[in-house]
Amino acid sequence: MANRGESTGPGTARISGYRSALRARLERYRDLRLSESELATLLLAPVLAFLFVVSFYPILDTVWGSLHTGYILPTRESAFVGLENYARLFADGSFWNALQVSLLYTFISVPVELVLGLAIALLLNRQFKGRYIAQAAILFPWALPTIINARIWAWLFHGQYGVINDLLVRLGVIAEPFAFLAHSDTALAAMIFVTVWKTTSFMALILLAGLSSIPDHLYEAARMDGASRWRQFRDVTLPLLKPTILVALIFRTLPAFQAFGLPFGLAGGGPGEATTTLVLYANDITFTRLSFGQGSAAATVITFIALGISLLYVTTLYEPEVR
Amino acid sequence: MSVIDRSRFDWKSLQSVGEKLGFYGSVAALCLVSFFPIVWIFLTSIKPASQIVQFPVQYLPTEVTLANYQTAINEAPFFRYLVNSAIVAGGTAIVAVLLGALAGYALSRLEFDYKVPVLLIILFSAMLPFFSRLIPLFQLARQTGLLNDYLGLILPYSAFQLPFAVWIFQAYFKELPDSLEEAGLMDGLSRIGVLFRIILPVSAPAMATAAIIVFIYAWNEFLFALTFMTQDSMRTITVGIALYQGEYTFPWATISAAVFLSIVPLILFMVLFQRKIVEGLTASVGKS
Repeated sequence: MANRGESTGPGTARISGYRSALRARLERYRDLRLSESELATLLLAPVLAFLFVVSFYPILDTVWGSLHTGYILPTRESAFVGLENYARLFADGSFWNALQVSLLYTFISVPVELVLGLAIALLLNRQFKGRYIAQAAILFPWALPTIINARIWAWLFHGQYGVINDLLVRLGVIAEPFAFLAHSDTALAAMIFVTVWKTTSFMALILLAGLSSIPDHLYEAARMDGASRWRQFRDVTLPLLKPTILVALIFRTLPAFQAFGLPFGLAGGGPGEATTTLVLYANDITFTRLSFGQGSAAATVITFIALGISLLYVTTLYEPEVR
Repeated sequence: MSVIDRSRFDWKSLQSVGEKLGFYGSVAALCLVSFFPIVWIFLTSIKPASQIVQFPVQYLPTEVTLANYQTAINEAPFFRYLVNSAIVAGGTAIVAVLLGALAGYALSRLEFDYKVPVLLIILFSAMLPFFSRLIPLFQLARQTGLLNDYLGLILPYSAFQLPFAVWIFQAYFKELPDSLEEAGLMDGLSRIGVLFRIILPVSAPAMATAAIIVFIYAWNEFLFALTFMTQDSMRTITVGIALYQGEYTFPWATISAAVFLSIVPLILFMVLFQRKIVEGLTASVGKS
C-alpha cells in the first residue's frame, strides 16, 4: 500500500509514453491512404475466406469423399474406390425413386407457385386500404419455419380428425375421411399443396417488388395506344418482369429441389418412399445407414443437378439489360 | 320518364362496385387461406383432449383449457430452445450483415480489376446445395469442437447467407450519391474513414432489412440444426418441435400448443418489421 504512492509517478509516465506512441501509430494509420483495389481486397478477404471454408472446400471434400470408402467414420481411414460409390448409388432403386420424387415435387410446385404468385402480385400491386394486412398475410407463410409448417399441415391432413377431411366431407367432395398422407398417390400431392401454400407468398412478394419497379408511364403510353389490359400485361408487364421472374424461379427451384424439412416433418418420407426426396434419401444413407461414401456420391449428384438447373435458367431467361 | 331513368342508370359505378367487391373478396380469401392453418392450430391447442379427436370436427371449443400448454412446456425445455434459436439467429444476423456490408461496399463503390471474378464466385456459392456441404462441415465442426456449440451453426449460416447480404448492400450502396463520399474525402477522411463514418451509418435501412431476413433464415433452418446440435439442451426451436414425440400416441394437442408458442415470437417479429421486410425485398429485387 505504501509503495503505491511512489510507483504511480514512473508508472504514469510509462503509460503516457505508451499512449503517445499509440497515438502516433494511429495517426500514421489515419494518414494511410489505401488504393481502391487494396481497400477492396481488405474488405472482400473475410467474405472470400469464409466462402472458401464453408462452400468451396466442402464441395470439393464431398467430391473427394464420394470416391473413397469409410469416409468420416471415426478413424477417417479411407481407401480410394473410384466410382464404386456411384455404381452402388445408381444400382439403388431408392435413389431413382428419390430423384423422381424430387423432380416431380420441384417441377410441379414451382410453376404453380409462379402462376399463383403472379396473380397475387397483380392483385396486391395497387394502393388500397388494408394493404398492410394483405402483405402480412403473404409474409406470414413465408416466415413460417418449414418444419413447423410441416407439423401444422400433418395435423390439418390427419386421416381421422383432420380439418381438411372435415371440410371436404362437408363440401361433398369425399364421402368419408381419407388418410391423404398414408396413401402413396396422395401423399406427394399433399406435400406439393403444402409447399405451394407456404412459398407462393414468397413468389408473390418478389414479383410484387418487380411490378412496382415498372414505370407507370409505360402503361399510360400503352393505354393511349388503346391496348387492352391483356395486351398491357403481355407486352409491358411480362417482358419487363422477366428478370424478376428469373430471380424468383432460381430462388424457389433450388430450395424446392433440396427439400428436406417438409418431407421429414409431413410424412417422414412415406408412405413407403412416396415422399422421400433426394436430400432426405441422401441424409438417410449418410447419417442413418452411415454409408458416407454413397452419401457423398448422392450429394455430388445433387450438386451437379442443382448447377445444371441454375445454368438452364440463366441461359434461357437471362437477357442483357434492355432499359 | 322511366326511359330517362334507365338511361341515367349508372352502369359504370355498378361495375366499379362489383370490381371492388371482387377485389376485396379476393384479398379477404387470400388472408383467410394464409391465416387459417395457424388459427386452426390455436383452436386445437386450447381444446380439451376429448374435443380434438372428434369427427365431424368441433370447430370452436366449448371449453377452453391451457393444459396442453402446460404439458408442452413441462415435457421439453421449450424456452431453452427459444433462447438457443434467438442466439443462433441473432449471431448469424450480426456476422452476415457486417461482412456483407463491407463486401457490398467494395463491390458497388470501389474500382478494382478482379470485380467480375469475385461476383461470379459469390453467385456460384449461392447456387451450391446445402446438403453437399453438410458432411465435410459436420466433420470440420466435430474436429474443431463446434458440435453442440452456437458458433457451429452461426458460422455456416452466416456464410450461406453472405451472398444474399452482399447483394442487398451492393444494391443499396449503388444508389447512394457520390457527393456523400466526396464530402468526406474533402474533410480529410480516408476511404476507410468514409466507409465507417459516413456510409455505414447511412446504411441502417439496408442493415435492418438484411438482418431481419437473415435472422428469419437462421431461425427457420432445420437440416444443419438437426445434425450439428445433438444435445437436447442445445437444440433450436425447429428441431425441438420436429423431435417432439409422445410416449404412446402422437400428442397433437401438445404439439399444437408447442407450435403456437413457437410462433408467437414470429408473429411479434412480423408485426414489428413487416414494412421493413416488404420494403427491403422490394428495393433489392427492384434494383437487381
